[in-house]
Amino acid sequence: MRHLSATLSAVSCLAVSSALSAATPALTQAQHDAAHAMFEHVIDTPTVIGRHNVPAMAQYVADQFIAAGFPAEDVHVVPYHTGSATTGDDDTAALIVRWRAAGTPRAKPILLMGHMDVVEAKPEDWSATDPFKMVEKDGYYYGRGTTDMKDGIVAITQAMINLKAAGFKPKRDIAVLFTGDEETNGLGAKNGATQWLDLLGHPEFGLNADGGGISLNTDGGPAGATMQTAEKTFAGYTLTVRNRGGHSSKPRKDNAIYSLAHALDKIEAYRFAPALNETTRAYFAGREKLEKGPLGDAMRRWLANPNDGDAADLIEASESEVGLTRTRCVPTRLFGGHADNALPQLATALINCRIFPGVDPDAIKAELEKIVADPEVVVTRNDDNPASLASPLRPDVTGAYTRAVEALHPGMPVFPEMSTGASDARPFRVAGIPVYGVNGGWTVTPIDNRAHGKDERLPVKSLYDNVVHWELMLRDLGSK
Amino acid sequence: MKRLLALALCTAVSSAAVAATDPRTIPSQLPPAWQAKTRDVFKQAIEIPTVHNRGEVPRMAKLLADQFRAAGIPESDIHVMPYEALPGDQTAALIVRWRSPNATKKPMMILGHMDVVEAKREDWKYDPFVFREEGGYFLGRGTSDMKNGDVATTMAAVKLMSEGFKPDRDIIFFYSGDEETRGVGATLGSTKWRNLTDAEFGLNADGGGASYDRNFQPLGFGISMAEKTFQTYFFTTHNPGGHSSRPRPDNAIYDLADSLEKLRTHRFQPMQNAITRGYFEERARQEGNSALGQQIRAWLANPNDGAAADAIEANPLEVGLTRTRCVATMLKGGHADNALPQSATATVNCRIFPGVQPKDVQAELQAMAGPKVEVTPDPLYIGQPTPASPPRADVVDAVKAAALRFHGPNMRVFPVMSTGASDGSFFRAQGIPVYDIDGSWGISPDDERAHGLDERIPVRAMYDDVLHWESVIRDLSK
Repeated sequence: MRHLSATLSAVSCLAVSSALSAATPALTQAQHDAAHAMFEHVIDTPTVIGRHNVPAMAQYVADQFIAAGFPAEDVHVVPYHTGSATTGDDDTAALIVRWRAAGTPRAKPILLMGHMDVVEAKPEDWSATDPFKMVEKDGYYYGRGTTDMKDGIVAITQAMINLKAAGFKPKRDIAVLFTGDEETNGLGAKNGATQWLDLLGHPEFGLNADGGGISLNTDGGPAGATMQTAEKTFAGYTLTVRNRGGHSSKPRKDNAIYSLAHALDKIEAYRFAPALNETTRAYFAGREKLEKGPLGDAMRRWLANPNDGDAADLIEASESEVGLTRTRCVPTRLFGGHADNALPQLATALINCRIFPGVDPDAIKAELEKIVADPEVVVTRNDDNPASLASPLRPDVTGAYTRAVEALHPGMPVFPEMSTGASDARPFRVAGIPVYGVNGGWTVTPIDNRAHGKDERLPVKSLYDNVVHWELMLRDLGSK
Repeated sequence: MKRLLALALCTAVSSAAVAATDPRTIPSQLPPAWQAKTRDVFKQAIEIPTVHNRGEVPRMAKLLADQFRAAGIPESDIHVMPYEALPGDQTAALIVRWRSPNATKKPMMILGHMDVVEAKREDWKYDPFVFREEGGYFLGRGTSDMKNGDVATTMAAVKLMSEGFKPDRDIIFFYSGDEETRGVGATLGSTKWRNLTDAEFGLNADGGGASYDRNFQPLGFGISMAEKTFQTYFFTTHNPGGHSSRPRPDNAIYDLADSLEKLRTHRFQPMQNAITRGYFEERARQEGNSALGQQIRAWLANPNDGAAADAIEANPLEVGLTRTRCVATMLKGGHADNALPQSATATVNCRIFPGVQPKDVQAELQAMAGPKVEVTPDPLYIGQPTPASPPRADVVDAVKAAALRFHGPNMRVFPVMSTGASDGSFFRAQGIPVYDIDGSWGISPDDERAHGLDERIPVRAMYDDVLHWESVIRDLSK
């Protein structure tokens, strides 16, 4: 779920590396072609839940590692089952790779994370291209997963292959976990944070390619790079209305679909109370410095007075700041009725909430019940996700990320970020393993913010820059 | 689609309001041996889940065909006609001809359908496809719509044959297999298969019927002679979608919900025709000075009195009789739990007043819903407005005789406009008048569960229906 190019336009909170980097590294033609071929292959593999394609993709990526000389006994395709009432079922798989340190490791492993599955995409919803046939057009790669997040899978894989070919020897183990159901049930991450920890070598911290990233403005200027240190809690709810139904030629006064529509109209009009935490305060403190207009004024007013709800509402209404000031809930799916000529006996809507860190998902359920205020409309939870936690800032990770960003995007400000999406990071954070979203892909904001939507796309150059970004990060952190 | 027990006739003001007998407790006159045979065939029929796409209709056709065969109808006059209804839905129709040894009249046709509307186990108290008898009722999907009619017409014919009855006209039995979805069977039956079905008129078991109110006062027996046009529309919204963690100000589901809020309160222009005027005149007589009776009289006196028509329409007994009605029946939207919806669709089912063109209803719905919503007709079923059938004295008299026998003199028989559509519309459109005259009955509104939960029929009504059809067939072919 999740990977979002943050939309920033701003100032350095984590400090821009002042030391000028050496010459920006570049890929050889062979490395470039290998990354292109791998990207095309994985985009063309529709790893949507229910289509049983994740194991094949995991095997394909595993084969790339093995062909590059990683020992087969350290490359594991781990099949597992995923499923729930709302997502359906699938036989999926995770890929686990262990790049062992030369000699005695200096520290516990670094975990590199990503997910291989993608959100459903229907060809008829897309403008021109088939979502599962990668197309290069106007400087972009189009296809489902180009930004969420097969670019990260390819970047990590190609970076490790390149480093190995270059003779780099990590001083600590580098473990890779690519899961197969992040967009749906997150069981791969749950397994990773529990039963697969031995295979992963009990990592010290995680670097997630499904978070962080770099944004450019439409004029090409820097909008900022984000490092994800906190995330909202992902929680799903179902609104259910039941009715006696009957024959559609004789409409009843009460109707399950109308009751549901009425409840949805109330949710549409509702806004949760605004809230600030340490990460978002730091984020807005950076943002306001470069926002001279009404948006900046609103940020300044809100930081000065956290009870200024009007200011928070103005910020939330800005396309670049959606979801950062509070809990947000939105309907994502509808189901209802059983025949076109029968009054509905059942109508349901799935409500997807992104809950401000620290707020109990049960409290949001109670709040939804209050909003809807109709005993006919029953609110239930779809999961038992606990409230999510933030990861403390680490100078080594912050430094490595900042230096990698500076090498490819000189002058790009770097921010901490609360992600509005949830990701595989949650169970690791809950298990005491901090996780940082530090991907190096870049997009133009807001026009390229299309994760989960139609015509998802990635600037062509971003893919190759991301490979270099991960090489820089791993050289840096793997040498310590 | 369609069959409604209800007749909408409110208390026949039997002013001498002595507590009436519960009609469910009166024993049926059907002999016990025939009750047992009927129950056995009915049980088998209910337990064949003839929902579209399940491929079970041919089994049901065989069940009915077997009864005719055992009664002596030769193989050459029994035709199971396989056909495709909804794309991929392999179904079948059954056409049986009971020949007259010396016909003096043109054939008459008896119609029904073997398919049923979907019923989900989790929605029902008991398995809808397991036949149950409980508290004086038979329960299961199809007990009132309309395997009761299939079994009653079949068993009536079998019983008449066993008694040596010789009709003076051929009697054609036509049971379709997709009335609830596409009506392909009736389309074929009224055109391509016309050599097997051509008849002077049709009697449809998928409509008609008597009802009682909760105090067991007879409400009437309606013969449907006209029907509203069935047309489904789709309300569709589109949106670029995106990640659900970043809600957009516009949302396909919200746009759809807004249009459904409008649909909930939208009311079409009230209308009358000759059949509904006849119906409401009868109703006014029965209602006397009640509020509803006054409203009906006001509307009959002044068809432009919209307030009176609205008050009538709001009465649960009269829903759908004063105008075109449209109601949301299904919803679908979104493609993933964590993605903003790129599209959302509501199915809106309309019953259009005879004479109104479906495209005009579409235009009115589009204007109501606004530019964010696309209103399109279901391409799989384009409704055809059909003419009312002319009243026939022989049919009306046969039904009156049967109604008198089973329900007494207080059960009045009169013409109605059906709010549902049925296979009859296809035959009416091809020049064969059709009259809905099934003889089942129930308590209104408690037993009106066609298409809904825990569908049922009084046990006695099932058995009476066999006698009813026996009586009607005899009267019209002797």
